[in-house]
Amino acid sequence: MAVQAMWSGTISFSLVAIPVHLVKAVEPGRISFRLLHNKDYSPLTRKMFCPEEEKTVPSDEIIRGYEIMPDKYIPMTDEELESVSPERSRTIEIIEFIDTKDVDPIYYDHPYYLVPSKGGEKAYRLLVEVMRRTKKAGLAKFVLSEREYLVAVTPRDGALALTTLRYSEEILPDEDLSPKKGKIAAEEQSRIKKSIERMIEDFNPQKYADDRRKKLMDLLTKKAKEKAPVEAPAVEEEEKEGPADLVAALEESMRKVKSR
Amino acid sequence: MAGGTIWKGYIHFRDTDVPVKLHTAVKEERIQFHLLHGRDRVRLRQRMVCAHEKQPVPPEEQCKGFEVEDGKYVIVDPAELEQTAPEGSRVIEVHEFVKTRQIDPIYLDRPYYLEPDISDIQGKGFNALVKALKDLDVTGICTWTMRKRPYFGALQARGKTLRLSTLRYADEIVPVESLELGDVALSEKELKIGSELIEKLTAPFEPSKFENEHQKKLQDMIDKKARGEKVVVLRPRRLKPTGSDQLLRALEASLKKAA
Repeated sequence: MAVQAMWSGTISFSLVAIPVHLVKAVEPGRISFRLLHNKDYSPLTRKMFCPEEEKTVPSDEIIRGYEIMPDKYIPMTDEELESVSPERSRTIEIIEFIDTKDVDPIYYDHPYYLVPSKGGEKAYRLLVEVMRRTKKAGLAKFVLSEREYLVAVTPRDGALALTTLRYSEEILPDEDLSPKKGKIAAEEQSRIKKSIERMIEDFNPQKYADDRRKKLMDLLTKKAKEKAPVEAPAVEEEEKEGPADLVAALEESMRKVKSR
Repeated sequence: MAGGTIWKGYIHFRDTDVPVKLHTAVKEERIQFHLLHGRDRVRLRQRMVCAHEKQPVPPEEQCKGFEVEDGKYVIVDPAELEQTAPEGSRVIEVHEFVKTRQIDPIYLDRPYYLEPDISDIQGKGFNALVKALKDLDVTGICTWTMRKRPYFGALQARGKTLRLSTLRYADEIVPVESLELGDVALSEKELKIGSELIEKLTAPFEPSKFENEHQKKLQDMIDKKARGEKVVVLRPRRLKPTGSDQLLRALEASLKKAA
Protein backbone atom coordinates (compact mmCIF):
# COMPACT_ATOMS: atom_id res chain seq x y z
CA MET A 1 0.00 0.00 0.00
CA ALA A 2 1.36 3.31 -1.07
CA VAL A 3 -0.62 5.44 1.36
CA GLN A 4 -0.82 5.09 5.09
CA ALA A 5 -4.18 4.22 6.63
CA MET A 6 -5.44 6.48 9.42
CA TRP A 7 -8.36 4.29 10.39
CA SER A 8 -9.81 0.92 9.52
CA GLY A 9 -13.31 -0.48 9.91
CA THR A 10 -16.41 -1.14 7.88
CA ILE A 11 -18.65 0.91 5.64
CA SER A 12 -22.19 -0.41 5.36
CA PHE A 13 -25.42 0.30 3.55
CA SER A 14 -28.49 -1.74 4.34
CA LEU A 15 -27.27 -5.37 4.69
CA VAL A 16 -24.01 -4.92 2.81
CA ALA A 17 -20.82 -4.44 4.85
CA ILE A 18 -17.47 -3.55 3.25
CA PRO A 19 -14.15 -3.66 5.12
CA VAL A 20 -12.23 -0.47 4.34
CA HIS A 21 -9.51 1.84 5.53
CA LEU A 22 -9.34 5.59 5.46
CA VAL A 23 -6.47 7.48 3.83
CA LYS A 24 -5.71 11.13 3.17
CA ALA A 25 -7.04 12.74 0.00
CA VAL A 26 -5.14 15.98 0.41
CA GLU A 27 -1.54 16.59 1.30
CA PRO A 28 -0.92 20.22 2.24
CA GLY A 29 1.90 21.53 0.09
CA ARG A 30 3.28 23.72 2.84
CA ILE A 31 7.06 23.70 3.14
CA SER A 32 7.81 22.45 6.61
CA PHE A 33 10.67 23.66 8.73
CA ARG A 34 12.27 21.96 11.65
CA LEU A 35 12.93 23.88 14.87
CA LEU A 36 16.61 23.63 15.76
CA HIS A 37 18.77 24.56 18.73
CA ASN A 38 20.87 27.50 17.49
CA LYS A 39 23.95 26.33 19.43
CA ASP A 40 24.44 22.86 18.02
CA TYR A 41 21.81 22.75 15.23
CA SER A 42 20.28 19.74 16.82
CA PRO A 43 16.56 19.30 16.07
CA LEU A 44 14.12 20.06 18.84
CA THR A 45 11.42 17.61 19.77
CA ARG A 46 8.15 18.46 21.41
CA LYS A 47 7.92 17.07 24.94
CA MET A 48 5.31 17.53 27.60
CA PHE A 49 6.64 19.16 30.73
CA CYS A 50 5.23 18.94 34.25
CA PRO A 51 5.54 22.41 35.86
CA GLU A 52 5.09 20.88 39.33
CA GLU A 53 7.95 18.37 39.09
CA GLU A 54 9.87 20.51 36.61
CA LYS A 55 10.67 17.66 34.25
CA THR A 56 9.51 16.19 30.98
CA VAL A 57 6.93 13.46 31.27
CA PRO A 58 7.13 10.19 29.30
CA SER A 59 4.09 9.48 27.16
CA ASP A 60 2.89 6.53 29.26
CA GLU A 61 2.34 8.95 32.16
CA ILE A 62 0.20 11.32 30.10
CA ILE A 63 -3.56 11.24 30.36
CA ARG A 64 -6.29 13.44 28.95
CA GLY A 65 -8.54 15.56 31.09
CA TYR A 66 -11.48 17.89 30.71
CA GLU A 67 -11.31 21.09 32.75
CA ILE A 68 -14.55 21.35 34.74
CA MET A 69 -13.39 24.34 36.77
CA PRO A 70 -10.08 26.22 36.82
CA ASP A 71 -7.32 23.70 37.48
CA LYS A 72 -9.72 20.87 38.22
CA TYR A 73 -9.83 18.11 35.63
CA ILE A 74 -11.89 15.01 34.96
CA PRO A 75 -9.52 12.42 33.48
CA MET A 76 -10.77 10.48 30.44
CA THR A 77 -9.28 7.22 29.20
CA ASP A 78 -9.12 6.19 25.54
CA GLU A 79 -11.53 3.32 26.26
CA GLU A 80 -14.03 5.72 27.78
CA LEU A 81 -13.74 8.09 24.85
CA GLU A 82 -14.17 5.28 22.38
CA SER A 83 -17.19 4.00 24.27
CA VAL A 84 -19.11 7.29 23.89
CA SER A 85 -20.41 6.14 20.49
CA PRO A 86 -19.21 2.53 20.22
CA GLU A 87 -21.44 1.76 17.24
CA ARG A 88 -19.90 4.54 15.19
CA SER A 89 -16.23 4.27 15.98
CA ARG A 90 -15.62 1.25 13.73
CA THR A 91 -18.54 1.51 11.33
CA ILE A 92 -19.49 4.08 8.74
CA GLU A 93 -23.17 3.29 8.36
CA ILE A 94 -24.78 4.97 5.37
CA ILE A 95 -28.12 6.17 6.73
CA GLU A 96 -29.50 7.33 3.42
CA PHE A 97 -28.51 8.35 -0.07
CA ILE A 98 -29.01 11.83 -1.48
CA ASP A 99 -28.74 13.48 -4.88
CA THR A 100 -25.21 14.85 -5.00
CA LYS A 101 -26.36 18.03 -6.72
CA ASP A 102 -28.55 18.88 -3.68
CA VAL A 103 -25.57 19.38 -1.40
CA ASP A 104 -24.72 23.03 -0.85
CA PRO A 105 -20.91 23.00 -1.21
CA ILE A 106 -20.53 25.13 1.94
CA TYR A 107 -21.12 21.89 3.87
CA TYR A 108 -18.01 20.19 2.47
CA ASP A 109 -15.16 20.24 4.94
CA HIS A 110 -12.28 17.77 4.76
CA PRO A 111 -11.86 15.07 2.09
CA TYR A 112 -10.44 11.55 2.54
CA TYR A 113 -10.50 8.38 0.47
CA LEU A 114 -11.77 4.97 1.49
CA VAL A 115 -9.78 2.01 0.19
CA PRO A 116 -11.11 -1.57 0.31
CA SER A 117 -9.44 -3.96 2.75
CA LYS A 118 -8.95 -7.61 1.86
CA GLY A 119 -12.21 -9.26 0.86
CA GLY A 120 -14.06 -5.98 0.36
CA GLU A 121 -12.97 -5.25 -3.22
CA LYS A 122 -16.09 -6.42 -4.97
CA ALA A 123 -18.70 -4.76 -2.75
CA TYR A 124 -16.55 -1.58 -2.82
CA ARG A 125 -16.48 -1.55 -6.61
CA LEU A 126 -20.25 -2.07 -6.65
CA LEU A 127 -20.91 0.87 -4.33
CA VAL A 128 -18.64 3.15 -6.43
CA GLU A 129 -20.24 2.14 -9.71
CA VAL A 130 -23.83 2.28 -8.50
CA MET A 131 -23.41 5.74 -6.93
CA ARG A 132 -21.74 6.96 -10.11
CA ARG A 133 -24.60 5.73 -12.27
CA THR A 134 -27.32 7.11 -10.02
CA LYS A 135 -25.40 10.37 -9.22
CA LYS A 136 -25.89 9.78 -5.50
CA ALA A 137 -23.90 10.35 -2.37
CA GLY A 138 -24.22 8.29 0.80
CA LEU A 139 -24.74 10.10 4.10
CA ALA A 140 -23.25 8.58 7.25
CA LYS A 141 -22.32 9.38 10.82
CA PHE A 142 -18.86 8.41 11.84
CA VAL A 143 -16.58 8.96 14.84
CA LEU A 144 -12.92 9.68 14.21
CA SER A 145 -10.53 10.64 17.04
CA GLU A 146 -13.30 11.48 19.49
CA ARG A 147 -15.24 13.55 17.08
CA GLU A 148 -18.47 12.66 15.41
CA TYR A 149 -18.72 13.66 11.79
CA LEU A 150 -21.55 13.73 9.34
CA VAL A 151 -19.91 12.54 6.13
CA ALA A 152 -20.77 12.29 2.46
CA VAL A 153 -19.44 9.26 0.60
CA THR A 154 -19.15 9.90 -3.14
CA PRO A 155 -17.51 8.22 -6.13
CA ARG A 156 -14.39 9.97 -7.46
CA ASP A 157 -12.46 8.54 -10.43
CA GLY A 158 -13.36 4.98 -9.42
CA ALA A 159 -12.62 5.43 -5.72
CA LEU A 160 -14.84 6.25 -2.77
CA ALA A 161 -14.22 9.72 -1.40
CA LEU A 162 -15.37 10.44 2.13
CA THR A 163 -15.84 14.13 2.88
CA THR A 164 -16.67 15.36 6.35
CA LEU A 165 -19.59 17.77 6.32
CA ARG A 166 -20.10 20.76 8.54
CA TYR A 167 -23.10 20.61 10.83
CA SER A 168 -25.87 23.11 10.04
CA GLU A 169 -25.29 24.92 13.31
CA GLU A 170 -21.66 25.54 12.30
CA ILE A 171 -22.72 27.46 9.20
CA LEU A 172 -23.37 31.08 9.99
CA PRO A 173 -26.47 32.72 8.55
CA ASP A 174 -25.84 35.19 5.74
CA GLU A 175 -29.18 36.99 5.57
CA ASP A 176 -27.81 40.07 7.32
CA LEU A 177 -25.15 40.42 4.64
CA SER A 178 -27.32 40.64 1.57
CA PRO A 179 -27.41 44.10 0.06
CA LYS A 180 -30.37 46.43 0.21
CA LYS A 181 -32.55 46.10 -2.83
CA GLY A 182 -30.96 48.38 -5.31
CA LYS A 183 -32.26 48.66 -8.80
CA ILE A 184 -29.71 47.25 -11.18
CA ALA A 185 -29.40 49.35 -14.28
CA ALA A 186 -30.07 47.15 -17.30
CA GLU A 187 -27.00 48.59 -18.97
CA GLU A 188 -24.72 47.71 -16.04
CA GLN A 189 -26.20 44.23 -15.89
CA SER A 190 -25.59 43.47 -19.53
CA ARG A 191 -22.07 44.94 -19.40
CA ILE A 192 -21.06 42.65 -16.48
CA LYS A 193 -22.65 39.64 -18.11
CA LYS A 194 -20.83 40.28 -21.38
CA SER A 195 -17.49 40.66 -19.60
CA ILE A 196 -18.02 37.38 -17.80
CA GLU A 197 -19.08 35.55 -20.94
CA ARG A 198 -15.85 36.58 -22.65
CA MET A 199 -13.86 35.11 -19.77
CA ILE A 200 -15.43 31.62 -19.59
CA GLU A 201 -12.85 28.82 -19.70
CA ASP A 202 -12.65 25.21 -18.55
CA PHE A 203 -11.69 24.64 -14.92
CA ASN A 204 -7.99 23.84 -14.92
CA PRO A 205 -6.60 24.13 -11.39
CA GLN A 206 -3.13 23.00 -12.54
CA LYS A 207 -2.63 26.52 -13.91
CA TYR A 208 -2.44 27.95 -10.41
CA ALA A 209 0.50 27.47 -8.09
CA ASP A 210 1.32 28.73 -4.66
CA ASP A 211 3.71 31.62 -5.43
CA ARG A 212 4.84 31.87 -1.86
CA ARG A 213 5.89 28.23 -1.83
CA LYS A 214 7.83 28.77 -5.03
CA LYS A 215 9.60 31.86 -3.69
CA LEU A 216 10.46 30.01 -0.52
CA MET A 217 11.86 27.07 -2.48
CA ASP A 218 13.96 29.48 -4.57
CA LEU A 219 15.28 31.14 -1.44
CA LEU A 220 16.22 27.77 0.10
CA THR A 221 17.91 26.55 -3.07
CA LYS A 222 19.91 29.78 -3.32
CA LYS A 223 20.98 29.57 0.31
CA ALA A 224 21.97 25.92 0.03
CA LYS A 225 24.24 26.83 -2.92
CA GLU A 226 25.85 29.83 -1.23
CA LYS A 227 26.67 28.19 2.02
CA ALA A 228 27.04 24.57 3.05
CA PRO A 229 24.11 23.40 5.15
CA VAL A 230 24.69 23.01 8.88
CA GLU A 231 24.85 19.52 10.28
CA ALA A 232 23.15 18.24 13.40
CA PRO A 233 25.18 16.12 15.82
CA ALA A 234 24.35 12.43 15.71
CA VAL A 235 22.12 11.18 18.49
CA GLU A 236 21.07 7.66 19.29
CA GLU A 237 17.69 6.83 17.88
CA GLU A 238 15.11 7.27 20.57
CA GLU A 239 12.69 4.43 21.00
CA LYS A 240 9.49 5.13 19.16
CA GLU A 241 6.74 5.09 21.72
CA GLY A 242 3.20 4.25 20.68
CA PRO A 243 1.25 6.81 22.70
CA ALA A 244 3.56 9.61 21.52
CA ASP A 245 1.70 9.48 18.22
CA LEU A 246 -1.52 10.09 20.08
CA VAL A 247 -0.04 13.19 21.69
CA ALA A 248 1.16 14.41 18.31
CA ALA A 249 -2.23 13.70 16.77
CA LEU A 250 -4.01 15.57 19.52
CA GLU A 251 -1.75 18.54 19.24
CA GLU A 252 -2.16 18.53 15.52
CA SER A 253 -5.93 18.63 15.85
CA MET A 254 -5.75 21.39 18.46
CA ARG A 255 -3.47 23.40 16.23
CA LYS A 256 -5.86 22.94 13.37
CA VAL A 257 -8.74 24.30 15.40
CA LYS A 258 -6.68 27.25 16.55
CA SER A 259 -5.32 28.14 13.15
CA ARG A 260 -8.81 28.48 11.74
CA MET B 1 -25.34 36.63 12.44
CA ALA B 2 -22.35 36.14 10.21
CA GLY B 3 -18.90 36.70 11.73
CA GLY B 4 -17.23 40.12 11.78
CA THR B 5 -15.40 41.68 8.83
CA ILE B 6 -11.98 40.14 8.47
CA TRP B 7 -10.77 41.77 5.29
CA LYS B 8 -11.80 44.51 2.86
CA GLY B 9 -11.01 44.82 -0.81
CA TYR B 10 -12.61 44.67 -4.20
CA ILE B 11 -13.39 42.09 -6.82
CA HIS B 12 -11.76 42.99 -10.12
CA PHE B 13 -12.06 41.71 -13.69
CA ARG B 14 -11.89 43.63 -16.97
CA ASP B 15 -13.79 46.89 -16.47
CA THR B 16 -15.58 45.75 -13.32
CA ASP B 17 -14.70 46.59 -9.71
CA VAL B 18 -16.95 45.60 -6.84
CA PRO B 19 -15.93 46.70 -3.33
CA VAL B 20 -16.54 43.95 -0.75
CA LYS B 21 -16.03 42.96 2.86
CA LEU B 22 -15.09 39.40 3.80
CA HIS B 23 -16.80 37.56 6.66
CA THR B 24 -16.23 34.12 8.15
CA ALA B 25 -18.99 31.73 7.11
CA VAL B 26 -18.37 28.82 9.48
CA LYS B 27 -17.55 28.29 13.12
CA GLU B 28 -16.36 25.19 14.87
CA GLU B 29 -17.31 24.06 18.32
CA ARG B 30 -15.91 21.11 20.17
CA ILE B 31 -15.08 19.87 23.63
CA GLN B 32 -11.40 20.45 24.36
CA PHE B 33 -9.19 18.19 26.40
CA HIS B 34 -5.90 19.00 28.05
CA LEU B 35 -2.93 16.75 28.61
CA LEU B 36 -2.28 15.94 32.28
CA HIS B 37 0.40 14.18 34.23
CA GLY B 38 -1.31 10.90 35.26
CA ARG B 39 0.28 10.83 38.68
CA ASP B 40 -0.64 14.26 40.02
CA ARG B 41 -3.12 15.48 37.39
CA VAL B 42 -1.11 18.62 36.79
CA ARG B 43 -1.69 20.17 33.39
CA LEU B 44 1.34 19.64 31.20
CA ARG B 45 3.01 22.36 29.18
CA GLN B 46 4.78 21.91 25.90
CA ARG B 47 8.57 22.31 25.81
CA MET B 48 10.94 22.02 22.90
CA VAL B 49 13.76 19.69 23.92
CA CYS B 50 17.16 19.51 22.22
CA ALA B 51 17.60 15.98 20.86
CA HIS B 52 21.35 16.19 21.59
CA GLU B 53 21.52 17.86 25.01
CA LYS B 54 18.16 16.45 26.13
CA GLN B 55 17.35 19.83 27.70
CA PRO B 56 14.44 22.19 27.12
CA VAL B 57 15.48 25.06 24.84
CA PRO B 58 14.08 28.60 25.39
CA PRO B 59 12.53 30.38 22.36
CA GLU B 60 15.51 32.76 21.95
CA GLU B 61 17.80 29.76 21.31
CA GLN B 62 15.52 28.25 18.68
CA CYS B 63 15.92 28.70 14.95
CA LYS B 64 14.22 27.38 11.84
CA GLY B 65 15.93 24.95 9.50
CA PHE B 66 14.91 23.30 6.28
CA GLU B 67 16.18 19.73 6.02
CA VAL B 68 17.99 19.35 2.69
CA GLU B 69 19.17 15.86 3.44
CA ASP B 70 19.21 13.63 6.48
CA GLY B 71 20.44 15.72 9.44
CA LYS B 72 21.56 18.65 7.22
CA TYR B 73 19.71 21.95 7.38
CA VAL B 74 19.59 25.32 5.67
CA ILE B 75 18.94 27.92 8.36
CA VAL B 76 16.47 30.67 7.55
CA ASP B 77 15.78 33.71 9.68
CA PRO B 78 12.39 35.41 10.06
CA ALA B 79 13.45 38.41 7.95
CA GLU B 80 14.21 36.12 5.01
CA LEU B 81 10.85 34.44 5.37
CA GLU B 82 9.21 37.85 5.41
CA GLN B 83 10.72 38.55 1.98
CA THR B 84 8.75 35.69 0.47
CA ALA B 85 5.44 37.16 1.67
CA PRO B 86 3.49 38.65 -1.23
CA GLU B 87 3.00 42.38 -1.46
CA GLY B 88 -0.10 43.59 0.28
CA SER B 89 -3.02 44.19 -2.04
CA ARG B 90 -6.75 44.82 -1.86
CA VAL B 91 -7.70 43.08 -5.08
CA ILE B 92 -9.52 39.82 -5.55
CA GLU B 93 -8.44 39.30 -9.14
CA VAL B 94 -10.81 37.12 -11.16
CA HIS B 95 -8.74 35.36 -13.85
CA GLU B 96 -11.51 33.41 -15.54
CA PHE B 97 -15.00 32.05 -15.06
CA VAL B 98 -15.81 28.35 -15.24
CA LYS B 99 -19.07 26.41 -15.28
CA THR B 100 -19.84 25.74 -11.62
CA ARG B 101 -20.46 22.02 -12.15
CA GLN B 102 -16.86 21.59 -13.37
CA ILE B 103 -15.48 22.29 -9.91
CA ASP B 104 -14.67 19.05 -8.13
CA PRO B 105 -15.66 19.65 -4.49
CA ILE B 106 -12.38 18.08 -3.34
CA TYR B 107 -10.78 21.46 -4.18
CA LEU B 108 -13.05 23.46 -1.87
CA ASP B 109 -11.34 24.47 1.33
CA ARG B 110 -12.62 27.27 3.55
CA PRO B 111 -15.71 29.35 2.75
CA TYR B 112 -16.22 33.06 3.39
CA TYR B 113 -19.19 35.34 2.81
CA LEU B 114 -18.85 38.60 0.90
CA GLU B 115 -20.85 41.72 1.64
CA PRO B 116 -20.99 44.89 -0.47
CA ASP B 117 -18.73 47.53 1.02
CA ILE B 118 -19.99 50.97 1.93
CA SER B 119 -18.67 52.56 -1.25
CA ASP B 120 -21.08 50.37 -3.23
CA ILE B 121 -23.88 51.87 -1.21
CA GLN B 122 -26.81 50.31 -2.95
CA GLY B 123 -24.91 47.20 -3.81
CA LYS B 124 -25.48 47.86 -7.50
CA GLY B 125 -22.34 46.25 -8.82
CA PHE B 126 -22.67 43.51 -6.24
CA ASN B 127 -26.26 42.71 -7.19
CA ALA B 128 -25.43 42.76 -10.88
CA LEU B 129 -22.54 40.36 -10.30
CA VAL B 130 -24.71 37.98 -8.24
CA LYS B 131 -27.33 37.94 -10.96
CA ALA B 132 -24.84 37.43 -13.80
CA LEU B 133 -23.07 34.54 -12.01
CA LYS B 134 -26.43 32.88 -11.38
CA ASP B 135 -27.79 33.41 -14.88
CA LEU B 136 -24.64 31.98 -16.47
CA ASP B 137 -24.19 29.31 -13.76
CA VAL B 138 -20.50 30.15 -13.46
CA THR B 139 -17.88 30.52 -10.75
CA GLY B 140 -15.05 33.05 -10.80
CA ILE B 141 -11.56 31.60 -10.29
CA CYS B 142 -9.51 34.20 -8.45
CA THR B 143 -6.41 34.97 -6.45
CA TRP B 144 -5.86 37.49 -3.67
CA THR B 145 -3.57 38.30 -0.77
CA MET B 146 -4.72 38.26 2.81
CA ARG B 147 -2.73 38.17 6.07
CA LYS B 148 0.51 38.16 4.06
CA ARG B 149 -0.43 34.97 2.25
CA PRO B 150 -1.53 34.35 -1.32
CA TYR B 151 -4.90 32.66 -1.77
CA PHE B 152 -6.54 30.85 -4.66
CA GLY B 153 -10.31 30.69 -4.58
CA ALA B 154 -13.76 30.32 -6.12
CA LEU B 155 -16.25 33.18 -6.25
CA GLN B 156 -19.84 31.97 -6.31
CA ALA B 157 -23.32 33.43 -6.02
CA ARG B 158 -25.71 31.77 -3.61
CA GLY B 159 -29.05 33.26 -2.64
CA LYS B 160 -28.60 37.02 -2.65
CA THR B 161 -24.97 37.01 -1.62
CA LEU B 162 -21.54 36.11 -2.87
CA ARG B 163 -19.28 33.51 -1.40
CA LEU B 164 -15.56 33.16 -1.73
CA SER B 165 -14.16 29.74 -0.97
CA THR B 166 -10.43 29.12 -0.80
CA LEU B 167 -9.31 26.31 -3.10
CA ARG B 168 -6.64 23.70 -2.57
CA TYR B 169 -3.82 23.70 -5.11
CA ALA B 170 -3.91 20.86 -7.64
CA ASP B 171 -0.67 19.33 -6.36
CA GLU B 172 -2.17 19.04 -2.88
CA ILE B 173 -4.80 16.54 -4.04
CA VAL B 174 -3.77 12.90 -3.74
CA PRO B 175 -4.50 11.27 -7.14
CA VAL B 176 -6.80 8.24 -7.09
CA GLU B 177 -4.18 6.27 -9.10
CA SER B 178 -1.90 6.27 -6.06
CA LEU B 179 -4.49 4.17 -4.20
CA GLU B 180 -3.73 1.28 -6.60
CA LEU B 181 -7.31 0.03 -6.70
CA GLY B 182 -7.70 -3.19 -8.65
CA ASP B 183 -10.51 -3.77 -11.09
CA VAL B 184 -13.27 -6.19 -10.15
CA ALA B 185 -15.89 -7.49 -12.57
CA LEU B 186 -19.51 -6.95 -11.60
CA SER B 187 -22.52 -8.57 -13.18
CA GLU B 188 -25.21 -6.40 -14.75
CA LYS B 189 -27.67 -7.99 -12.32
CA GLU B 190 -25.65 -6.88 -9.30
CA LEU B 191 -25.43 -3.36 -10.68
CA LYS B 192 -29.13 -3.24 -11.47
CA ILE B 193 -30.23 -4.44 -8.04
CA GLY B 194 -27.64 -2.17 -6.39
CA SER B 195 -28.96 0.87 -8.30
CA GLU B 196 -32.54 0.00 -7.41
CA LEU B 197 -31.59 -0.33 -3.76
CA ILE B 198 -29.87 3.06 -3.71
CA GLU B 199 -32.86 4.73 -5.33
CA LYS B 200 -35.07 3.19 -2.64
CA LEU B 201 -32.81 4.46 0.13
CA THR B 202 -32.65 8.00 -1.27
CA ALA B 203 -34.04 10.90 0.74
CA PRO B 204 -33.82 14.69 0.28
CA PHE B 205 -30.70 16.32 1.71
CA GLU B 206 -31.74 17.91 5.01
CA PRO B 207 -28.55 18.58 6.91
CA SER B 208 -30.33 20.28 9.80
CA LYS B 209 -31.81 16.96 10.92
CA PHE B 210 -28.34 15.72 11.84
CA GLU B 211 -26.97 16.85 15.14
CA ASN B 212 -23.66 16.21 16.74
CA GLU B 213 -25.03 13.63 19.19
CA HIS B 214 -21.58 12.49 20.13
CA GLN B 215 -20.68 15.88 21.58
CA LYS B 216 -23.74 15.70 23.84
CA LYS B 217 -23.03 12.12 24.90
CA LEU B 218 -19.44 13.05 25.63
CA GLN B 219 -20.58 15.97 27.80
CA ASP B 220 -22.96 13.59 29.62
CA MET B 221 -20.12 11.19 30.30
CA ILE B 222 -17.93 14.00 31.65
CA ASP B 223 -20.78 15.19 33.92
CA LYS B 224 -21.35 11.66 35.16
CA LYS B 225 -17.71 11.26 36.03
CA ALA B 226 -17.67 14.67 37.69
CA ARG B 227 -20.48 13.49 39.97
CA GLY B 228 -18.39 10.46 40.84
CA GLU B 229 -20.62 7.96 39.05
CA LYS B 230 -19.21 4.88 37.41
CA VAL B 231 -18.94 4.85 33.63
CA VAL B 232 -19.53 1.60 31.75
CA VAL B 233 -16.99 1.03 29.01
CA LEU B 234 -18.48 -0.39 25.83
CA ARG B 235 -16.58 -2.18 23.09
CA PRO B 236 -16.79 -0.83 19.56
CA ARG B 237 -18.87 -2.97 17.24
CA ARG B 238 -17.38 -4.50 14.14
CA LEU B 239 -19.57 -5.71 11.31
CA LYS B 240 -18.98 -8.96 9.48
CA PRO B 241 -17.93 -8.11 5.91
CA THR B 242 -20.12 -9.25 3.04
CA GLY B 243 -18.11 -11.79 0.99
CA SER B 244 -17.96 -11.49 -2.82
CA ASP B 245 -20.04 -14.65 -3.23
CA GLN B 246 -22.73 -13.31 -0.87
CA LEU B 247 -22.97 -9.85 -2.46
CA LEU B 248 -25.90 -10.56 -4.75
CA ARG B 249 -27.84 -12.25 -1.96
CA ALA B 250 -27.16 -9.35 0.42
CA LEU B 251 -28.35 -6.85 -2.21
CA GLU B 252 -31.54 -8.80 -2.86
CA ALA B 253 -32.26 -9.13 0.86
CA SER B 254 -31.61 -5.37 1.31
CA LEU B 255 -33.97 -4.52 -1.51
CA LYS B 256 -36.68 -6.67 0.05
CA LYS B 257 -36.11 -4.95 3.39
CA ALA B 258 -36.29 -1.47 1.84
CA ALA B 259 -39.51 -2.23 -0.07
